[in-house]
Amino acid sequence: MSSRVCRTCGGSDIDVDQARGSAVCTSCGSVLEDNIIVSEVQFVEGSGGVSSAVGQFVSADGPVKAPLLGSGFHTSVGKESRAQTLQGGKRQIQQLGSQLQLNQHCLDTAFNFFKMVVSKHLTRGRKTEHVIAACLYLVCRTEGTPHMLLDLSDLLQVNVYILGKTFLLLARELCINAPAIDPCLYIPRFAHMLEFGVKTHEVSMTALRLVQRMKRDWMHTGRRPSGLCGAALLVAARMHKFRRTVKDVISVVKVCQTTLRKRLTEFEDTPTSQLTIDEFMKVDLEQECDPPSFIAAQHKAKMQQLEQELARKLDDVEGEISCYKDEIETELEKSRPKLRGIYAAYAKEIDPEEAEVLSSTSDPEEQEVEDDELQAATQHLTQDFLCQVIQEEEGRGKKTDDNEVEAGPDMEGAGSQRQAAPLAAILGKLPSAASLGLQQTLDESETGEKPDDEQSEGGELDLDGIDDQEIDKYILNEKEVQVKTELWMKQNADYLKEQKEKEERIKKEKEQGTYKEKPKKSKKKKEQIQASTAGEAIERMLEKKKISSKINYDVLRDLNRGGTGSGGGSSPSRASSDPPNTNTTARKRLNRRRRKKANDTNRDLAANASIMGKSQSLQLPSSSPVEPASSCGSRWVVVCLDQLG
Amino acid sequence: MDSSNDEALDIIITNVVATFRTRCHLNLRTIALEGTNVIYKPEVGKVLMKLRKPKITASIWSSGKIICTGATSEDDAKLGARRLARVLQKLGFKVRFSAFKVVNVLAVCSMPFAIHLIDFTKNNRPIASYEPELHPAATYRIKHLKATIQVFSTGSITVTGPNVQNVATAVEQVYPLLFEVQKPLKKKEKS
Repeated sequence: MSSRVCRTCGGSDIDVDQARGSAVCTSCGSVLEDNIIVSEVQFVEGSGGVSSAVGQFVSADGPVKAPLLGSGFHTSVGKESRAQTLQGGKRQIQQLGSQLQLNQHCLDTAFNFFKMVVSKHLTRGRKTEHVIAACLYLVCRTEGTPHMLLDLSDLLQVNVYILGKTFLLLARELCINAPAIDPCLYIPRFAHMLEFGVKTHEVSMTALRLVQRMKRDWMHTGRRPSGLCGAALLVAARMHKFRRTVKDVISVVKVCQTTLRKRLTEFEDTPTSQLTIDEFMKVDLEQECDPPSFIAAQHKAKMQQLEQELARKLDDVEGEISCYKDEIETELEKSRPKLRGIYAAYAKEIDPEEAEVLSSTSDPEEQEVEDDELQAATQHLTQDFLCQVIQEEEGRGKKTDDNEVEAGPDMEGAGSQRQAAPLAAILGKLPSAASLGLQQTLDESETGEKPDDEQSEGGELDLDGIDDQEIDKYILNEKEVQVKTELWMKQNADYLKEQKEKEERIKKEKEQGTYKEKPKKSKKKKEQIQASTAGEAIERMLEKKKISSKINYDVLRDLNRGGTGSGGGSSPSRASSDPPNTNTTARKRLNRRRRKKANDTNRDLAANASIMGKSQSLQLPSSSPVEPASSCGSRWVVVCLDQLG
Repeated sequence: MDSSNDEALDIIITNVVATFRTRCHLNLRTIALEGTNVIYKPEVGKVLMKLRKPKITASIWSSGKIICTGATSEDDAKLGARRLARVLQKLGFKVRFSAFKVVNVLAVCSMPFAIHLIDFTKNNRPIASYEPELHPAATYRIKHLKATIQVFSTGSITVTGPNVQNVATAVEQVYPLLFEVQKPLKKKEKS
C-alpha cells in the first residue's frame, strides 16, 4: 500500500477497506477514495446453493480477446495469427506424437520447444511439418526415448537428412545440448520387435553386453547406432538359439544388408569374437582395439607402399633375372609343393606359365622366351617378396623356414635380403621426409600471401607470368569455330527454336499493343474453368482436382443437386430470374475461393449459399482436416434446407 | 608454429575457390563457340571453362562475374584467374581484372592418433556437434575465424575457411582439443 498523506490533516495513517472499496483517513475521518478497484476473487451463489467463482477461464495461449462467439465453434474467428500458428502446431504435435506413442509430458515439452521456435522466428521459410518433427525429435533425445530420426522421416515421408538439418539448426538456435545417442537405448525396442517371446529380456542383456564390448573396441564412433544394434542382436539371438536371419534383423533395424555384414566382420576381427559364449558372459577382455576404419586405412597405406617398393625393385632386378633363368626354374619346381594356404593360388597360377616357359624354351624366338621367363620370374619374386615382407610383419616362423630353403641360390638370398633391407630403410625414412615436406609447404603458403594485390581496384590485368602462346591454345581458330558452331546449333536446335518462337510472339504482341512486361517471377496461374452453371463449374473443377481421397465426391455432387432441386422448387422465380447473376457471382466467388485455396466442400457451400440467394460472406475453416469439414458442411446444408422448408 | 609436438602435421590444401569480376558484359555464346574446353549451360545461364595449367574450372556468367574452383593454392588461383581473363581478352571482350577475392579454402590434415568423438563433443558442447545418424564426423565451428572443422574418428580432419592463414590457425587451435581426447594406438599388428 502506498503510504499517502491525507489532504485535510496531513496524517499518513490511512485505512483501506477492500470490502467497501474505500480509503479513509483515521485521524480526521475524511474519505480519500471511494470505489477502489479491487482485484479479488468474488463468489456467486448459483442454483442449488452452489457457490462458484465469478469470471471466465482464459488459457495462456488462447486468443487475446475473449471469445465472444461462445464455445463449440470450430472456426477460429477473431484469433490473431500467432495464436492460430500455435494452435495448429499443437494439433500437429499431438497427432505425430500419438503415432510415436509419446506420453503427454513429452508432448507438452515439444509444444514448449515449438513456442520458443516460433518466438524466435525460426519457422519462416521452413515447412511446419519439418519444424514439428524436429521439435519432437529434440524431446526424444533429451528424454532418452528410443526413437530414431528415421522413424520420424518414415512417418512424414521426408528425407532424413532434411529433417536432420532442421533438427541441428533448432538445437543450435535454442542452445539445447542433446546428449549423444547411445546404441544401448535402442536394444530393448528392437528386441521387442524381433519377438523373442519369454527370453526377450535375456537376449536384450546379451546384446547390451555385446554393444558395450563394441564400444570399447571402437566400432561405434562415426557409425549409425542402429547398425551396431542390428549386429549385436543377431549375434545374441544366435547365442540363445533363435533362428533370426539377416533379413529379419534388417527389416526391424532399418540398415542395409551390406552394413550388417560389415559390422559382423569387424566384430569378428576383434579378439572378443574368439571367446566362447560362456566365456563371453563371464570374462571381459582388458585390451581394446583400434577403430576398424583406422586399421583399414593403415592396411591400405601399407599395401600402397609395398606396391611402390615392388615396382622399384622390379626395375632393378629385371636385368639380372634373365641371367639366372635356369636357377629360377628349378626353384619354382621346388617351391610348388611347399606353398600353403592362400599362396597355393599363386602357385597354381604359375603352373601354366611355367609350362609355357618350358615349352617356349624350344621356341626359336628368344624375345618371347625372355618375356615369359621374366613374367614367371617376376611373379615368383613378387610372391616371394610378398611372402617375406608379410611374414616379417606377422612373424610366422614356419614360412620363413620354407623361404630360406627356397632361397638356395645366392642371388635369390641376396636379392631377398636386399629387398628386405631397403624396405626397412625406406619405411624408416618416410616420417622425416613428411615432416620436411610439411615445413616447406607451410612456409610457401605463408610467403605466398605477403605480396598483396594492389590491382584489385585498378582493374588492369597484370600480364606477367602469363604465356601468350599457351593462351592462344585455348582459343579455337576460324575453321574450328565453324565446325563447333554447326555442332552446337544441331545439338541445341530445340532450345533455339523455342527462343525464336518466344521472340516472334513478343514482337507480335508488341505490334498489337497487348505486350505486357511480364515480371520474371510470374505466379502459376491456374486456368479458369469455363462453365455455364455453378453446378457444372463445380463438377469440372472436381474432376480436375481430386484433392483428397477421403471425400466421397459423388455424395458432394448429390448434395449440390439436392440443394438446387429444393431451392429451385421453393423459389423458382428467383432462380430463373437470376441465372446470369448467380452464375457470374458463383464463378467469381469460385475464382476467389480457388485463389484462397479452400476445400471442395467450401466451394460446395459457396455454391449452395449463392443458389439460396444468401449474400453473406462466410468465414470458412482454413486448415481443418477433412472429416470435420464435411460433417460441418453437412450441418450447414441441413441448416439451409431447414430454413427453406 | 606447432608448439606442443615434435613431428609436424601435414596440412594439405585440396581446393581454393576465388571470384573476380571483369567489369564488362560477356557474350556467353561467343565464349562457348570459340573456346576450347567449355561447357555451355544455357538453362542456368553460365559457361564452364576448364584450364589445364593450373587445374581450374571457372564458371563464367554473362554479367562478368567469374568463380574459379579447383586450385591448390591461393597463388595458383590468382594465376588461373588471370589466365582466364587473358583468354577472354583475346576473344575480344574489354576485360578488366578487378575484385579478385579468395572465398574458400579447403584443407585436409591427418592426426597420428585416433579421436574419441563423443568425448570431444562433450568437452566442446555448443561449438561442436556430432550426429552419428546423419554424418560420421563431428563438426566444430570457430566463429571468429569463420572456419569449419570436420573431425573423423580415424584422426583425419578437413578444414574449410576463408583463406589459408585462417585454416592454419584453425588447425592449431583445434589440435590441443583433439590431443586431449585422443585414443592411443594399442597395437600396430592385428592377430
